[in-house]
Amino acid sequence: MFSLRNCGLWVAASLTKKRLTLARFSGDSAAPLATKFDVIVIGGGHAGTEAAAAAARCGSRTLLLTHRVDTIGQMSCNPSFGGIGKGHLMREVDALDGLCSRICDQSGVHYKVLNRRKGPAVWGLRAQIDRKLYKQNMQKEILNTPLLTVQEGAVEDLILTEPEPEYTGKCRVSGVVLADGSTVHAESVVLTTGTFLRGVIVIGLEMHPAGRLGDQPSIGLAHTLEKLGFVVGRLKTGTPPRIAKESINFSILNKQTPDNPSIPFSFISETVWIKPEDQLPCYLTHTNPKVDEIVLENLHLNSHIKETTRGPRYCPSIESKVLRFPNRLHQVWLEPEGMDSDLIYPQGLSVTLPAELQEKMITCIKGLEKAKMIQPGYGVQYDYLDPRQITPSLETHLVQRLFFAGQINGTTGYEEAAAQGVIAGINASLRVKRKPPFVVSRTEGYIGVLIDDLTTLGTNEPYRMFTSRAEFRLSLRPDNADSRLTFRGYKEVGCVSQQRYERASWMKSSLEEGISVLKSIEFSSSKWKKLIPEASISIGKSLPLRALDVLKYEEVDMKLLATAVPAPLKKYITCRELAERLKIEDWGC
Amino acid sequence: MWRGLWTLVARAARGPRSPRPCTRQGSGVPVPGSGTTIFALSSGHGRCGIAVIRTSGPASGHALRSLTAPRDLPPARSACLRLLSHPRSGEPLDRALVLWFPGPQSFTGEDCAEFHVHGGPAVVSGVLQALGSVPGLRPAEAGEFTRRAFAHGKLSLTEVEGLADLIHAETEAQRRQALRQLDGELGHLCHGWAGTLTKALAHVEAYIDFGEDDNLEEGVLEQANSEVRELQLALGAHLRDARRGQRLRSGAHVVVAGPPNAGKSSLVNLLSRKPVSIVSPEPGTTRDVLETPVDLAGFPALLSDTAGLREGAGPVEQEGVRRARERLEQADLILAVLDASDLASPSSRNFLDTVVAPAGAGSPNGNSQRLLLVLNKSDLLPPGGPDPSPNLRPHLLLSCLTGEGLDGLLEALRKELAEVCGDPSTGPPLLTRARHQHHLQGCLDALGHYTQTKDLALAAEALRLARGHLARITGGGGTEEILDIIFRDFCVGK
Repeated sequence: MFSLRNCGLWVAASLTKKRLTLARFSGDSAAPLATKFDVIVIGGGHAGTEAAAAAARCGSRTLLLTHRVDTIGQMSCNPSFGGIGKGHLMREVDALDGLCSRICDQSGVHYKVLNRRKGPAVWGLRAQIDRKLYKQNMQKEILNTPLLTVQEGAVEDLILTEPEPEYTGKCRVSGVVLADGSTVHAESVVLTTGTFLRGVIVIGLEMHPAGRLGDQPSIGLAHTLEKLGFVVGRLKTGTPPRIAKESINFSILNKQTPDNPSIPFSFISETVWIKPEDQLPCYLTHTNPKVDEIVLENLHLNSHIKETTRGPRYCPSIESKVLRFPNRLHQVWLEPEGMDSDLIYPQGLSVTLPAELQEKMITCIKGLEKAKMIQPGYGVQYDYLDPRQITPSLETHLVQRLFFAGQINGTTGYEEAAAQGVIAGINASLRVKRKPPFVVSRTEGYIGVLIDDLTTLGTNEPYRMFTSRAEFRLSLRPDNADSRLTFRGYKEVGCVSQQRYERASWMKSSLEEGISVLKSIEFSSSKWKKLIPEASISIGKSLPLRALDVLKYEEVDMKLLATAVPAPLKKYITCRELAERLKIEDWGC
Repeated sequence: MWRGLWTLVARAARGPRSPRPCTRQGSGVPVPGSGTTIFALSSGHGRCGIAVIRTSGPASGHALRSLTAPRDLPPARSACLRLLSHPRSGEPLDRALVLWFPGPQSFTGEDCAEFHVHGGPAVVSGVLQALGSVPGLRPAEAGEFTRRAFAHGKLSLTEVEGLADLIHAETEAQRRQALRQLDGELGHLCHGWAGTLTKALAHVEAYIDFGEDDNLEEGVLEQANSEVRELQLALGAHLRDARRGQRLRSGAHVVVAGPPNAGKSSLVNLLSRKPVSIVSPEPGTTRDVLETPVDLAGFPALLSDTAGLREGAGPVEQEGVRRARERLEQADLILAVLDASDLASPSSRNFLDTVVAPAGAGSPNGNSQRLLLVLNKSDLLPPGGPDPSPNLRPHLLLSCLTGEGLDGLLEALRKELAEVCGDPSTGPPLLTRARHQHHLQGCLDALGHYTQTKDLALAAEALRLARGHLARITGGGGTEEILDIIFRDFCVGK
């Protein structure tokens, strides 16, 4: 009852606003008409590239508008992709034929699966990525995508027209106005402007407007969205300083080596581009009481910390770690930025102190005594739009055919952005074709959990994915994302390539065949015990045991089974992924 | 009904599908039905001394002023005598006590008013009509006051259920039990368990999501494990108590049994204060089991009169005897009745051997069955004579005819029933609803799975299940609650 009443108020308010807005934009329609597209994507970050590529894969003529083409695919924060929960998202993006997983398989310098000991539902695929390579590979992919045009330009405004009566929303977007006054028309528009909406960079007490270090923020667009009646909030995040590699004494630090073999992110990558022995290590060091001291003595020089804007509870700055958990040693991971990069990224040392104090703080840390700071850490404050204003297809309730994806919706992280990008791109395209939206439910994927959380609960801190957010964690695993999403993407949307579809179909039929073979092999328990002495099979049972039952023992895997019964089973261990998935999945009885 | 409410609240929290209000919502759950003011007769229907009429909602103050014009609102939460009159016609309705409870310090959390009027139907309907004529007021739907209290966080779900019991409490003991539950004792207990479990779950989740990358302290998992073990013990102990609570809600089964013509039916009629059973000097008068709900010494009980136990009568009576024996097995308390003047007869001796003696020694399922031995027809014994049966187990002498010994019997019944039902004013709160027991058992089972599972993701799933069961009693248990604990207890993040 309460919300209904408010809806009434809202409708009344929006009607008056609509007249104002339309009047404001009527003058723009006289501007010269540029080329017409099906979908325009604004922004070339992780959400924008995925959205543009997805819309193009769905068959829509798509325009990607970005400030600078050379920043497409830029990893503006940490030099890594994936992790626990985030790796799950990447697998799902890949299952819908998204880009980031494949690009990561071509650009990583250190591949490692986290949580190996904790059960396959929570394995976290992660890799350190070479920034330069990632950008190169992503630009190559984007610039060679059929139906996708890339153009430089800053978007100042949206072109709005009368709404379609059969849909909700007070008006409809039909294109964009660029900074030079020219217009481009389109059937759908996807906004992925990241931290550029009234972005401000903070170092110490200095604040200057910027979307990313060295890039102009989008002020006109922020203004437009506010005028339309979107509820805007403010968030902050930060990034650590960068340190010269040769100035670090790695010899006294803990070294972490990559996995061997490397597990690729993408279902269609057989392997990653680089051998394990050629990959780069990471190093671990810790903060100490001296670091606490410097932070606490200089809080008055730190406007980012003083502000009340909500920062993340996870991925916090070193200042908030010291304030909230004093007298502890905090981890600092020293991560490579790339194969031929001279920079090291100190993960865990996000800081907004004045630059000279940052350097002083760094040199207190073990291994960094002589470290040279190349670029200071900084904080970013930016506008986001309350994500309860968008539908599960990421279209806004207020403006028809306008879609939001990425940090603009209050999320943090490359993977969260990419996941929204794919969904927004697909739905922007479906909307043009007047087809029903493509929605992933909470039961189908982390993408569904992410979007459902955002659109129903909103967020007041940068939203990051954790496996604890997923109610159906046991079935939403990295290994089976293709069976959950690839077929839907192929049949309902057409965003999945033939090659990927065939690979997923092959996997599906091989799994089914494997299961029926495993069910058909039956021996007495004593014979199984003889064949696989490692297994804790109790011999007393009179009923024969099937190979499938034996596979359920924790210590038995396909390799052991195939050694015991080579004849029919050998062929199922030639593919690592197939053997692993036969073991992981609960095939019932 | 409360299940329906849950979905309603959940739906409200998730918001409507299409256009949403574009204002930033507060952190709280939107409150269903706020805005309107409701009124209802809160005491029972029918003729009575005093009837209580309540209102809840923002127009309560206006309604109170309208009926008590020209006087102003009484001071908050103190009773005042006021002349009530119809706000339109000015026609006087009643002199009544009125109370003003400005929100949020009221039962529903909203502004509330109470009118304690004389209980005649004409007065009550007059005041209700007068309230209905005040703009912004409408009659309440069934349970709406409680629903509003729940929606405003004034009552937890267990308290709401406790309140429903209070309203239906037919006896003194049930009222006490319901009151204790309304005070939230069961709620407090469950909240305590839920708190422990949520923390354990949060720590396991933290270990899964952050254990690899961040430096969680040592022993996070071990601590969660020991908390789960303690919880298993506490839940197990509580569940063993559970059946007593249930018995209290539905009434203890008290079965009157004995050889034919011992005066069982007379005793039933005496205890229930009404002629339930036909009484005649002829043995075998009662052939079927006759049940009547009674208030025995403050406890609700289902009193069953049974056929006299003897062999070799006609087929109808034999069936009655079979049913009587069946009922004896289900009894929470047996009232064994014998004729004090006829203890040596074969039927009396047989009854003593087959029913009375085993009950004392403990029944086959291990629980000793409670039994009170009553020797009826004490009026037939020579006055002042010796005890007719010095070798018998402890017993009570009674005369259903004269009523002599009845007080002693009632006192003995009170003691026995307090044991059977559990005295609600002492000891831990009892589980009065099968639903509570069901979910606590479900929780305990899931905790068992947790301790047996090696795969941590599967183990965490068991904890989530366990938490879900407790959430059905206490509410809560959402992801945010877990994340709040993780970020409070651990410094995680890169």
